[in-house]
Amino acid sequence: MEPPAEVVKIAEYIREMKIRGAGRIARAAAHALKLAAIAYKGHDLGEYLEYMERVAQLLKSTRPTAVSLPNAVNYVMMRVKSARTLRDAIATAVRAADEFTSLSLKAVETIGRIGAGLLEDGDVVLTHCNSSAALSVIKTAFKEGKKLRVYATETRPRFQGLISYRELTQAGIPTTLIPDSAVRFFMKEVDKVIVGADAVAANGAVVNKVGTSMIALAAHEARVRFYVAAETYKFSPATVLGELVTIEERDPKEVVPPNVLASSPRLRVRNPAFDVTPPEYIDAIITERGVIPPKAAILVLKEEYGRMLEEELMRITLDIEDSIYPAQIP
Amino acid sequence: MAWWEDTIREIAEYRIYSSTDAVLRALELFPQVFKRAYNLRESLETLAELVNKLVEVRPTSVMLNNMMRRLLRAVEKHIKAGRSASEIADALELEIKSLRRELESAVNIAATLGARRVRNGDTLMTCSYSKTIMALFHRLREEGKRVRVYVTESRPGSEGVEMAKEISSMGFEVELIVDSAVRFFMKDVDLVVVGAEAIAANGAVVNKVGTSMIALAAHEARVRTFVIATTHKFSHETIFGELVRLPIIRGVKLLPGLEREADLSAESPLFDVTPPEYIDAIITERGVVAPEAVILLVRELYGWPPETMDVISAAHRLLEVVESGAAS
Repeated sequence: MEPPAEVVKIAEYIREMKIRGAGRIARAAAHALKLAAIAYKGHDLGEYLEYMERVAQLLKSTRPTAVSLPNAVNYVMMRVKSARTLRDAIATAVRAADEFTSLSLKAVETIGRIGAGLLEDGDVVLTHCNSSAALSVIKTAFKEGKKLRVYATETRPRFQGLISYRELTQAGIPTTLIPDSAVRFFMKEVDKVIVGADAVAANGAVVNKVGTSMIALAAHEARVRFYVAAETYKFSPATVLGELVTIEERDPKEVVPPNVLASSPRLRVRNPAFDVTPPEYIDAIITERGVIPPKAAILVLKEEYGRMLEEELMRITLDIEDSIYPAQIP
Repeated sequence: MAWWEDTIREIAEYRIYSSTDAVLRALELFPQVFKRAYNLRESLETLAELVNKLVEVRPTSVMLNNMMRRLLRAVEKHIKAGRSASEIADALELEIKSLRRELESAVNIAATLGARRVRNGDTLMTCSYSKTIMALFHRLREEGKRVRVYVTESRPGSEGVEMAKEISSMGFEVELIVDSAVRFFMKDVDLVVVGAEAIAANGAVVNKVGTSMIALAAHEARVRTFVIATTHKFSHETIFGELVRLPIIRGVKLLPGLEREADLSAESPLFDVTPPEYIDAIITERGVVAPEAVILLVRELYGWPPETMDVISAAHRLLEVVESGAAS
């Protein structure tokens, strides 16, 4: 059975960034798995699992960088795979998807509450792109009665800063939009930077919207605190096992209109969607489990994905032992 | 004055991308002032108005200030010599011709010295639109050096897109990137080259906003940053404690793609200041020097302390020169 049209549409929306933001795409993927499970018309558990696996792969392939996406898919699939009957497996998919969605939404709220403590009355905050977790921190602190002022970078090429601007303005927080190039100019006025994350690596490096690492560098230079707000499902277990986070490069047409490229055949546009901020420029990562120093990312990873990591390590160990001592295996 | 409105607007709205070109266009208005007036008095009144206007619309352009100072001094000399308005117009035209030649030659010398610091196969990074940087690429092409260059789009204004197109049409491999991607690509870069709007007494460089971010990211990655600028960009006034004023634009008019979001509260400086510690050298027509040592070249060229002039009051004073001449 092919993935239902609605699921394919969600996958496309994620790919085209009609659904964007690491948290939102994770929830959308969980929701898509739920829809796929409900739509299954067959009668065989094995066939169902294969079908769900295809849907899972389709969803994971839409955006290569955001770790929340495979983490959400794995969250559901791990539970689905342990079901014994078809009925149970379908019900599990629905339950796990709903569970993930509510955990995710709750995490954003909890991060807002925890992170708000880091902001003080009168602070000038700078944020980049459009992160629900980062905005949750700012809005919660504002609701607590702290007077804040925000600089939101426009975030080229897709202007996600505009969404943050509207969201913050609507909440009553005085916000000014600035071009990405002006970050260092304004940094002297800024007290704290808060951004979201698309992925957190094992060493505490944060992958986020391109420009984040420049902002972190400028903050570091000006001794301005730099915080990352990230749900624990944005931590990347694969990096513990040595994998790199792939940085997606997107269409040049996001940067310049097609006629510019057509008239200048030797001109190329490079359009990486993300960059990597090293842990030494990050003061803390705010998760729903608490505020941690970035280099303690492994703590979160062990806690959240310990079993999976142990299994993977065991598999690698067995493979290696097989290759070293093949003769000893009867 | 209606006849200069178009030119003033082009300069004010940064539609002339190169600061050197903007200066030359501004100077060409000076002889016009003397040609169009009925008498010397009237032309001097108009001149004072013009100087006022130019300082108002382009306060950061030190080169404009420096060049106006030279023209005003020439006008004063001619008034004292009893020349008529039309004679002064002719003299100014000659003066501007020679200033233009001097500037063009200085730009090309600086670019030639700069080209010596670029190795065949290097990857460069630059931003905004600069006549001096364009001259550097012309020189590199003449020398047959093959380089690759990252150009930032350079918002607000996005004049980096224009420069990227022009450099690529010269046959170089150009990669256009958004301003935020500078640090992402810095690891690939061998050399950052940028122009300047102004150089301050301590060697700090005022240039298109974003320059200081690029220099910071280069510094972090141990990539050298060279500023290529002629000594005409040196601000004499900063020696005496003046700050270079950085204009801030409000609203979205210089943010392509956001023009329709008129209700936005948006802010941007047009220029920023790169501290001398992030600049490896300033390459001038008088040689390659550490940014902190540009002041030495200024001493060589103009003596010490170098002369400064508040061009607005100087322009007004010319009227007194005429009156005292008439009285005597």
